[in-house]
Amino acid sequence: MANAESVVFRKSYHIEGGNFQSAGSVSKKIKQILKQLNIDGEIIWRAMIVAYEAEMNVVLYASEAEVILEISPKKICMIFKDKGPGIPDIPLAMTEGYSTATREMRERGFGAGLGLPNIKKTADNFDIQSTVGSGTQLIIDINIF
Amino acid sequence: MKIINPYEHSITIDEELCVGCVICTLACPAKAIRVKDEKAKLIKSGLCIDCGECLRVCPQNAVKAMTSRESEMQGFTVLAALPSPVLYSQFGEMYSPNDILLALKKIGFDYVYDVAVSVEEVFIALNEYLNRKKNVRPLISNFCPAVARLIIKNYPDLIEHIVQIEVPRELSARAIRKKIAEEQNLEFDDIGVFHITPCAAKMISITNPVGSERSNLDGAIAIRDIYLSLINALKEDGDDEILQRSSGVGISWAKGSASKLGLPNRRTLSINGIKDVVKVLDDVESGKLRDIDYIECSICPGGCVGGPLVIQNKHIAARRVETLIEQYGSKSRLNTEQILKRFEMDFLLTKNLWEAQAPDPLDTDLSRALEMMNKIEEILEILPGKQCGACGAPTCHSLAEDIVKGEAKLNDCVFIRNKELENALKRNN
Repeated sequence: MANAESVVFRKSYHIEGGNFQSAGSVSKKIKQILKQLNIDGEIIWRAMIVAYEAEMNVVLYASEAEVILEISPKKICMIFKDKGPGIPDIPLAMTEGYSTATREMRERGFGAGLGLPNIKKTADNFDIQSTVGSGTQLIIDINIF
Repeated sequence: MKIINPYEHSITIDEELCVGCVICTLACPAKAIRVKDEKAKLIKSGLCIDCGECLRVCPQNAVKAMTSRESEMQGFTVLAALPSPVLYSQFGEMYSPNDILLALKKIGFDYVYDVAVSVEEVFIALNEYLNRKKNVRPLISNFCPAVARLIIKNYPDLIEHIVQIEVPRELSARAIRKKIAEEQNLEFDDIGVFHITPCAAKMISITNPVGSERSNLDGAIAIRDIYLSLINALKEDGDDEILQRSSGVGISWAKGSASKLGLPNRRTLSINGIKDVVKVLDDVESGKLRDIDYIECSICPGGCVGGPLVIQNKHIAARRVETLIEQYGSKSRLNTEQILKRFEMDFLLTKNLWEAQAPDPLDTDLSRALEMMNKIEEILEILPGKQCGACGAPTCHSLAEDIVKGEAKLNDCVFIRNKELENALKRNN
């Protein structure tokens, strides 16, 4: 048998910005996979918090994004690579309560300024890179062991 | 209480009647059915949540709900009937709930109990329960046996959201059994207590209850099996004993929205139908809906009046329920203080015996499960994605899973087999 540690499951998804009808569907698909893999409920719960927050960020702010899910026996890694306005001041965006959400978004119950800080708090590893006018990339790890 | 259940689930498929058409296979929300050797089978019984969808859609009437037979009612000294409030909605406006309860006595039940009263008790206790359990929101109803199974299998993290108050039918059963034992000086086992139900999952909830050790009921009788004799009994004259004590609050339970009247000062949701139930449980699982106090979930569309074992069209039945609410008032006439006292003494609570059941993981070893997941993706690339069910599995994804688990072959897919045959023909020419 191949080295067990080296087994990786990889799958990519597409998120459409501004589409509230399908919003949340990528996180849901990821959840189903994690459940089928019999991954611990607490880990799934954390993975879902970050996946949903990151997905909603794309829906709210970007025009589209590619999501790459990679699961190994050690960790769940999710990469969200969006095409969008980018974030000019990342430390400010990472401040709890800070939000550029419009009134319309807030009326829908989003934009409390908890998204990015919450992802960072929940993840075991978090990396954010952004180019203004081009897009943002999040790399999020949740450890399994 | 004498029943030992030989079955794990509430449905059986009659192989004589089944033509292997895959309608149930495609309709099953749990993807538990496969057609093998031209017959539908509940192959993945671990996935089944006893929702009764298969029963509802089968054009051959080959899917049967397990309910009590007449023979099972023999051997008891005294018989009691506990009709679901849905029964009150199944007849014309000329018959009141009291007439229907009297009719149950005419057809041979020695005692009847108005379960709608227990519904009202539960909602009075529930209001207090919500005060006590302030830290968990939203709380989720426990009375639909299919929702209970859905949660323990697919949403184990939500078990702590489940209300731990005894369900109305069980409270009624306990009350009537005690009353009869005292009045007639009988042992509990001499008394047969039967639920009259619209629900395909009720029998299994009696034989294999989720969240409690054992049921207080002896069996469940389908409304549609008892309907004809009730209609005949309703036409006869009889005595005018008052058996109905419920108000519109208890009766409103029949259409899956008792929380509107039962918890008037709370933020509640009434969710009916498996698709919406799944959506709302997904939301709760992802931490949403924390501003809601209580969610009442029924797996059947329209609530219990939409159960598979009813006679009346669910919309007409719901209309009848509305009329009954108007007639019997939207306030319970029960003594709240007395009920709260029983609640304080924990008489109305169930023990927390809810256990998660992982439905069907690929493998318990994560490396192996990941390898299998990769194989599933590889197979999905080859499969046509038509979701036709002709292979006997409900979706291409299900077939891919079955193949990886060694339960099916790639050429069970008719499109793949067709290609294989074409290729073979070409080689021969």
